[in-house]
Amino acid sequence: MDTDLLSDTFVDLADTMVADFDVIDFLHVLTDRSVTLLAASAAGVMLADPRGELRVAAASSEEAGLLELFQLQNDQGPCLECFRTGRAVTATDLAGPAPRWPRFAEAATRAGFATVEALPMRLRDQVIGALNLFRADPGQFDPAELRIAQALADVATIGLLHERNVRRREAVSEQLQGALNSRVTIEQAKGKLAERLGIDMDRAFRMLRDYARNSNQHLTDVARDFVTAGTADFPPPARHQPNR
Amino acid sequence: MADSRAAALWGQVAAHAAGQGRKVSVADVCAVAVSSAQLAGGWVVAARGGDPDFVMCVTHPVSERLAELQLTLGEGPCHDVLASAAPVLAADLGDEEFARRWPGFAPAARQLGAGALFAFPLIVGAIRAGVLGLYRGSPGPLPGRQLGDLLILADAATVMLLGSVHGDAEDGDGAALDGQAPDLALHRAEIDQATGMLTVQLGVPAGEAFVRLRAYAYAQDRRLADVAGDIVSRRLRLPRDQNPGGGP
Repeated sequence: MDTDLLSDTFVDLADTMVADFDVIDFLHVLTDRSVTLLAASAAGVMLADPRGELRVAAASSEEAGLLELFQLQNDQGPCLECFRTGRAVTATDLAGPAPRWPRFAEAATRAGFATVEALPMRLRDQVIGALNLFRADPGQFDPAELRIAQALADVATIGLLHERNVRRREAVSEQLQGALNSRVTIEQAKGKLAERLGIDMDRAFRMLRDYARNSNQHLTDVARDFVTAGTADFPPPARHQPNR
Repeated sequence: MADSRAAALWGQVAAHAAGQGRKVSVADVCAVAVSSAQLAGGWVVAARGGDPDFVMCVTHPVSERLAELQLTLGEGPCHDVLASAAPVLAADLGDEEFARRWPGFAPAARQLGAGALFAFPLIVGAIRAGVLGLYRGSPGPLPGRQLGDLLILADAATVMLLGSVHGDAEDGDGAALDGQAPDLALHRAEIDQATGMLTVQLGVPAGEAFVRLRAYAYAQDRRLADVAGDIVSRRLRLPRDQNPGGGP
């Protein structure tokens, strides 16, 4: 474990959280940092939707095979199990014989992952989602790494619920739905930009995010303004009232 | 698991419309939302430019007054839901938080007999079609299962509302549905990405792109997620003059 990297990560995350921030952008930073810090190949945050689905809020890569792995976990896999039990779940040796979640194991192996770890995002007695970590190498994450991973999952929870006071129990559900809708808005904006410039979704995402950061706006606001603008020019013509 | 729940709820909506001897409309979704979550009444308000605009339907007079009151005062859960793009779940309207947020509306709503008020955005990402509002006389939370059902019903109302705004005038809100359950697979990234791509391909606003995508899938008898996947992978482009509901 690189302790400099560890302290940098927590300083960065804390820095973000004391200011006004965009939840989805924050969760993206968190998944990126999880990958670097824990020598993982990919990471993602899934949130529980009361409609009965687990939905991706952020992932370290927009690569289709990875997103498919998240989607698949609505039926089976460590993330679903983690969400149901509220406990960390490890899947090692996915390429081995008789895996516990055959369809998930097959898709993970195809995408090049041998180990998956799912860590619960808990708030009091509620599990609101899970942080997923994927590794190409077989073998367990070591206990020190798992403690860090759980701390990152807890930071994700706090970040998600930071914006509003959560004294009312219902505020958690309101906040989660807001975050999930932000993700939808960002997907729409990615599509519009990708089509306009003939680029892929990953690149479109990075352009939107960089523009939001450089112009000091929330990613979700930039995405919404771009989707609702009468033109597909990007960056959009200035009409910024950073409302929320 | 989400699909079967959606299908069951849609069955209730269709049965309600049949009981009234009419085509399925947003009013049926509203009525089923009230009955399935054991609430006292509800309303649907349509939005324009991100703000509440007019009352589309109500289940009875108190609901109507609650809906109108918000439009008159210019404050209330309808406004907050559209501004935050998230539901407002006021399990106890007497809570000081709501008296502070809606100094005019909260006391007036309580006088009308509302103890709890739940408002759901009829939105898909940046597309804002309206608000589904519901109330109950006594304060108290919504159980998790009812919350899930109401979110699914709000999705159905969103599809119908957008269909009635952007769909073929003759077909009205039946354009995307024709009496069948809407494909409520709202939550695949490809569907949202395809909607964004279609705003450019077709040169239309996002709400219309959303409807055209569905109308195309329906007309071709294909799954929405599959059509969206083809658009995202650039195997399929929809022509600009594509007539919703028409053939290729």
